[in-house]
Amino acid sequence: MSEYLIEVNNLGKRFPIKGGLLGREVGAVNAVNNVSFKIKKGETLGLVGESGCGKTTLGRSILRLIEPTSGEIIFNGKNILEYNAAEMRAVRRKMQIIFQDPYASLNPRMTIGDILAEPMEIHGLHMDKTARRKRLFELLNQVQLPSDALNKYPHEFSGGQRQRICIARALAVEPEFIVCDEPVSALDVSVQAQVVNLLMDLQKELGLTYLFIAHDLKVVEYISNRVAVMYLGNMIEVAESSELYGHAKHPYTKALFSAIPHASTKGRAGRIILEGDIPSPMNPPTGCHFNPRCWNATEECRKIFPPVTNASPTHQYRCYNPIQ
Amino acid sequence: MNTEKILEVKDLVVEFRTERGVVKAVNGVNFEVHKGKTLGIVGESGSGKSVSALAIMGLIPNPPGRVASGQILYRGKSLVNIDPSEMRKIRGNKIAMIFQEPMTSLNPVFTIGNQIEEVIELHQPHLSASERAAKAVDMLRLVGIPSPEKRVKEYPHQLSGGMRQRVMIAIALSCEPDILIADEPTTALDVTIQAQILELMNKLQKELGMGIILITHDLGVVAETCDHVAVMYCGQIVESADVETLFNHPSHPYTKGLMDSIPDFDSTSGHKKERLQTIEGMVPSLFNLPTGCNFQDRCSKVTEACRGMNGDPTLKPAKGDDHFVACFNPLENI
Repeated sequence: MSEYLIEVNNLGKRFPIKGGLLGREVGAVNAVNNVSFKIKKGETLGLVGESGCGKTTLGRSILRLIEPTSGEIIFNGKNILEYNAAEMRAVRRKMQIIFQDPYASLNPRMTIGDILAEPMEIHGLHMDKTARRKRLFELLNQVQLPSDALNKYPHEFSGGQRQRICIARALAVEPEFIVCDEPVSALDVSVQAQVVNLLMDLQKELGLTYLFIAHDLKVVEYISNRVAVMYLGNMIEVAESSELYGHAKHPYTKALFSAIPHASTKGRAGRIILEGDIPSPMNPPTGCHFNPRCWNATEECRKIFPPVTNASPTHQYRCYNPIQ
Repeated sequence: MNTEKILEVKDLVVEFRTERGVVKAVNGVNFEVHKGKTLGIVGESGSGKSVSALAIMGLIPNPPGRVASGQILYRGKSLVNIDPSEMRKIRGNKIAMIFQEPMTSLNPVFTIGNQIEEVIELHQPHLSASERAAKAVDMLRLVGIPSPEKRVKEYPHQLSGGMRQRVMIAIALSCEPDILIADEPTTALDVTIQAQILELMNKLQKELGMGIILITHDLGVVAETCDHVAVMYCGQIVESADVETLFNHPSHPYTKGLMDSIPDFDSTSGHKKERLQTIEGMVPSLFNLPTGCNFQDRCSKVTEACRGMNGDPTLKPAKGDDHFVACFNPLENI
């Protein structure tokens, strides 16, 4: 078996736009456009980008919660896009997701015990009553919640605790791969750090592989081994996280990282303020999608979307005029 | 600070009556705003930062809320229990506010121009309709919206999040206020747009000389934009200092904890990755605050003194000018 747990090749998701009286297709949004990447076992790939860049669509497409329109997803050596519903259900046990809003993603009428038992029920795990109970306590212990939580309801918990419950629910079926879709964005700073630490501890303990989606670049840089940057549906740069922060090749990456406010009064200089907004994904600019906001743009950038260039074996980018 | 003091808040207490009893959302808060300077108020959700701002604007919903005691002085004039018609002359005109969510604070059925003109009409009734229209375009130009003549005729849904926040700023500034209160102005925006908006606020402050109160939970934003900072926890200010002092010599364990819980980039040299420092536990419920220091159960330096035998900690001078901390065991300055 290869060292990669998951391999995504030329993945695309196109949302048609229907309009007019007859509901004909009048256009389309390519929310994810020819995206390829690989994640090793036990590794964390961070995925950053601004709102609307397609990072959530990509995360959900990988689990086929949104059906991709093209490409392939090789999980443990098999293309899961060829799976039928039953095969897919079986493989979902190995792939789980944690959502952004811990308030919206827990059913308010179910106790924590029921919430955590449901995935096991579906996958037929620990069907014996005492074994089930033992597993529930083990899960609570893993996410550092008190064992009396089992009979409580979600409203009795704070945001940070709810996110722990969501993590426990994802762990219930012993997955190998977890898509973390903005798992700490809705939490306060001091609680955020607790959840980030928990995710990293669990990874070490259980050998999990993460795709960590977030717009908070500091958290992503901290938790990820490698980071990929998306802009308007395309992956424009991917590198090891320290490399990306220190030596970004793509001007957008550079600008994105320079825009982060630092919690220190030293060195406020060096900010790149981008002009304008992200263009509409319904009508992206031709050539490189970033060209209208880029200070390095040339004629070439307005014609053809730049191909992938290798800066090093672990660092790829799509730009004609990279930063030296 | 030797600049002109335009707003002073003294011992402000704001209470809300709820089914579970009276809760003090803001409990004895003091701060000052100076002309041309930015005061940052930082804290986690529920720490009372937004309620303090609403109290200044006279926008605490009553009932259930009320300003129970304390003073809010705008250029020496008390804003607590002021006549509502008097307050209307100040609110929006002298003290303006922008909110976190630019979509819900704009009216979707009126054009941008309409909404800017409404403010001008209310507060500057001497201007004619055409002068108002011209001023609306000027305001949009001031906040850096491209082709403002066209944009005034558009509706909020036609603008992006960053553009909408610019419109909110244009509305707030259209009467040239003395004080701008910005309640999490960039929290809903992406980082590149956040950088644009913060830059814009800085520029406008230099041009117009207003005092700004910036409410945020993001210490990074504070470090980059504020002159003076107040850190709030459970309705009280636990530390107050100028920005340099606060970031370089934090004195309250909570302030230090907040700073340590942010992953920082500067670790690019050596490779990774110590665990993030965290503040254990969570913010106590305002209904059930401990006696003594509110932070005692999460604090690493807690002693018997913090448990209430010497009363609650009050703001006392710490090392450095203008530096105050409410702690019995403040951190030795590093």
